[in-house]
Amino acid sequence: MHTIVEGYFKLLKVLIALFLAIMVVLVFGNVVLRYGFNSGITVSEEVSRWLFVWLTFLGAIIALREHGHLGVDMLVRRLPNVGKRACLIVSQLLMLYATWLLLQGSWQQTLINWDVAAPASGLSTGWFYGVGIVFGISSGLILLADLYRAVTGKLSDEELVMVKESEEQEELEALQHELAERDRREARLASSATHGETRP
Amino acid sequence: MTIIIFVGSLLCTMAIGMPIAYALLISGIALMVYMDMFDAQIVAQNIINGADSFPLLAVPFFMLAGEIMNTGGLSKRIVDVALALVGHVKGGLGYVAILAACILSALSGSAVADAAALSALLVPMMVQAGHSKPLSGGLIAASGVIGPVIPPSIGFVIFGVVGGVSITKLFLAGLVPGILIGLGLAFAWWWEVRKETIVSPPKKSGREVLRALREGVWALVLPFIIIFGLKFGVFTPTEAAVVAAVYSLFVALFVYRELKLSELFAVFVTSAKTTAVVMLLVAAALVSAWLITVSEIATAVVDLLEPLHDSPTMLLIAIMVLVVIVGTAMDMTPTILILTPILMPVVKAAGIDPVYFGVLFIVNNSIGLITPPVGTVLNVVAGVSKISMEDLMKGVWPFLLAQLVVLFLMVMFPQLVMWPAKWLGG
Amino acid sequence: ANAQDIQERTIRWGHLNDPGNPISQGVAKFAEIVAAKSGDKLKIREFPSSQLGNEMQQQAALRGGTQEMFTGAPTSLVGTVKDFGLLDLPFTFSSGEQARALVDGPFGKLLFSKLPEKGLVGLAYWDLGFRNVTNSKHPIAKVDDFGGLKLRVIANPVYIDTFKALGANPVPMNFAEVYTALEQKAVDGQENPFAIVLSAKLFEVQKYLSITNHTYTTNIVLMSKKFWDKLSPTEQKILQQAAAESLEYQRQFSRSYSEKALEQLKTNGMQVNEVSQPERERMQKETRSVTEKILAQYDPELVKSFQNELEQFGK
Ligand code: NA
Ligand code: NA
Repeated sequence: MHTIVEGYFKLLKVLIALFLAIMVVLVFGNVVLRYGFNSGITVSEEVSRWLFVWLTFLGAIIALREHGHLGVDMLVRRLPNVGKRACLIVSQLLMLYATWLLLQGSWQQTLINWDVAAPASGLSTGWFYGVGIVFGISSGLILLADLYRAVTGKLSDEELVMVKESEEQEELEALQHELAERDRREARLASSATHGETRP
Repeated sequence: MTIIIFVGSLLCTMAIGMPIAYALLISGIALMVYMDMFDAQIVAQNIINGADSFPLLAVPFFMLAGEIMNTGGLSKRIVDVALALVGHVKGGLGYVAILAACILSALSGSAVADAAALSALLVPMMVQAGHSKPLSGGLIAASGVIGPVIPPSIGFVIFGVVGGVSITKLFLAGLVPGILIGLGLAFAWWWEVRKETIVSPPKKSGREVLRALREGVWALVLPFIIIFGLKFGVFTPTEAAVVAAVYSLFVALFVYRELKLSELFAVFVTSAKTTAVVMLLVAAALVSAWLITVSEIATAVVDLLEPLHDSPTMLLIAIMVLVVIVGTAMDMTPTILILTPILMPVVKAAGIDPVYFGVLFIVNNSIGLITPPVGTVLNVVAGVSKISMEDLMKGVWPFLLAQLVVLFLMVMFPQLVMWPAKWLGG
Repeated sequence: ANAQDIQERTIRWGHLNDPGNPISQGVAKFAEIVAAKSGDKLKIREFPSSQLGNEMQQQAALRGGTQEMFTGAPTSLVGTVKDFGLLDLPFTFSSGEQARALVDGPFGKLLFSKLPEKGLVGLAYWDLGFRNVTNSKHPIAKVDDFGGLKLRVIANPVYIDTFKALGANPVPMNFAEVYTALEQKAVDGQENPFAIVLSAKLFEVQKYLSITNHTYTTNIVLMSKKFWDKLSPTEQKILQQAAAESLEYQRQFSRSYSEKALEQLKTNGMQVNEVSQPERERMQKETRSVTEKILAQYDPELVKSFQNELEQFGK
């Protein structure tokens, strides 16, 4: 079970990186063709928009699991743990409800649009709305798992707040990590330098 | 009543720590129930359509470009150039920070990335030179604010898409206000350090300056490619973003060789993930935006502000105060998404130029990045430079004040924004 | 009409055009008639300028029942009912009368009969007039003048292939981005009816207007079938009557607006040239391969009735 879940999220990461790379190729390719060869890729605009939509929702699944979505934690941070837990459970129930609606609506729209061909690529527009089904099921399961852990008290105190205040928090954390590494390295170097020092 | 339902449900769900994207969905659902038009398809259609926009493709491309520039050594070269040029004057490192921030802004769309790179490189040097640490950190944080004002800017892209304003025009109009903020900061810095006796780094020899320029030239030409490309219609903002990404990828891989092919996958995943977080917010906001369009909220707000229609300046001041207050507590993207659909009809009704308004709005939102309690850039600088938030807030206020003065001047004298915008965009 | 059969309802009607242009005027007339006939119980709320999304999005909303009405070009229906694509064929109609007679006749009714199974009800074929080419480089008087021009077109194979065949470089783009793209000279030109060139202020960024009359743009008044099925027979009748009664007004308005638009475009400094009949025939010849390729994709019976009616009304 664990490996399947990990494998699924690995797959999502590969897909979003791949989609971004294809988008770069399509849009940049179009600029090059327009100036270099006075032509263009007809499906470039449409296909890159669709990949973008898929990237958005697949990436949002990953962010939901990593509790990386933006929120305001000013108030909840000040609450005692009981209060934090209560807020979290209420918020998860509401999120589940919104996800349920999103799933239901995407299902209906996917069926309705299954026989509609997209203007440039001719692909079924059902694929376009289908991302809502993938997002709805995946994020619904993540929310259920989180809710289970919240109700049964399996969350650490840290995990009781599940939002970040800046979209670039992750980059920031990576950077801080990197700086700490650098500091350690420099400290090591400095201490070895002092040790090697012979003059007073 | 409709507006109370919308704002009330949004604030309540945000207060209990729900991600803002979901809070927007819940407030959209609340509106839907209240307006008696409940249908799950409204949620699904609008959130999915919300992410379906060619102009918004600029967001992942600019994210990618920024990510590559920091990993690939472009940012570092720019700081070196600024050091070589203005490092030696009195309090020179402060001007280095401002100049480097202006150039970095022209390469990336993100204040956080700029401030992180600058504080990592410059705060230690400034402290070593004898400047106060809080003041140095405050200046760096305030310089980060220039990032979203000088193009490219993700803030302008999102505002342009949601408000229906030309992104190219916004980009070109943001250039001079960004530089004005830089000048304002330079003045404040000069004022703060005028009595200090600090030894600046020695003047660089002509050869050293030349070397820094030669190293940095690959990074320095990119802003020109973007600005001229947009001005002369070589490409659309989305295409400019992809050109920036491909160009910086090329430089990082083959010229500076600081980005390894093996790191590329991680760079793409990080950019895609950051994009997804921003875009889910954008998409969710369009659910409530659709319901706001269909309801009478916009008309109600226009009516509410009716008395101010005859005085665009008063109206602008009222809006700017509102945005400053909202900006103390909320990050830039959600503020743009939530306020734009409500404010645009008012702005248009009062006959205010949407591009001019967009510039003021984004400048104001950027200032929000350094106002406590929620000031993302403050957090970054405090974290990277290891300054306590309390000290940093003391250090930042002269610069915050300078920025508010510049904003006020732009409200009082629209020509400050509009003349250069006409000239550049013309 | 029986008053109990009419309920208080608000009908949201979206389209892509700016207020004041012939589509918007048609909506206003329709709303006026519906209000009068229903004793103000049925209300139309207009959402112009793509406020409710692009054409594909609004159409999906109609099919799902979250929006009641939408008006757009037949092009937007091609993905759903392919047969509407025949109305988009280049250099097919020689006059507005011919196009209007065709859509009002058996062929138009046949197309409408295919909509209900897709969750849509067709109420009327409105007018926007012939499409013409504008650009910032030079007048288009003959086929060769298309050479190398970057033209914005609707993202649809008919338009893309047509302008490729004429020698231009078609760039598919969303209408919302056209003004800026022209202003910044990312593209040289575009093609639209006079009414749109005026209402979208394209004359500010385009110098030459060449009357190619390459495609006749009808605009189809669509209603959500889910909504339609909820209506009482009385309400349905009111809406049908309004569609019929507003039709002539809308077409008349469109014609006079087109003429006035052309004059205004001239006053605003656009250089207008008429493409001569022999040159237009040459353009038709250049695009024949496109037309034939597309016709081959349709049911031969349908194509035959289309061509028969074309000929019959062309006289
Ligand atoms: Na920038
Ligand atoms: Na703030």
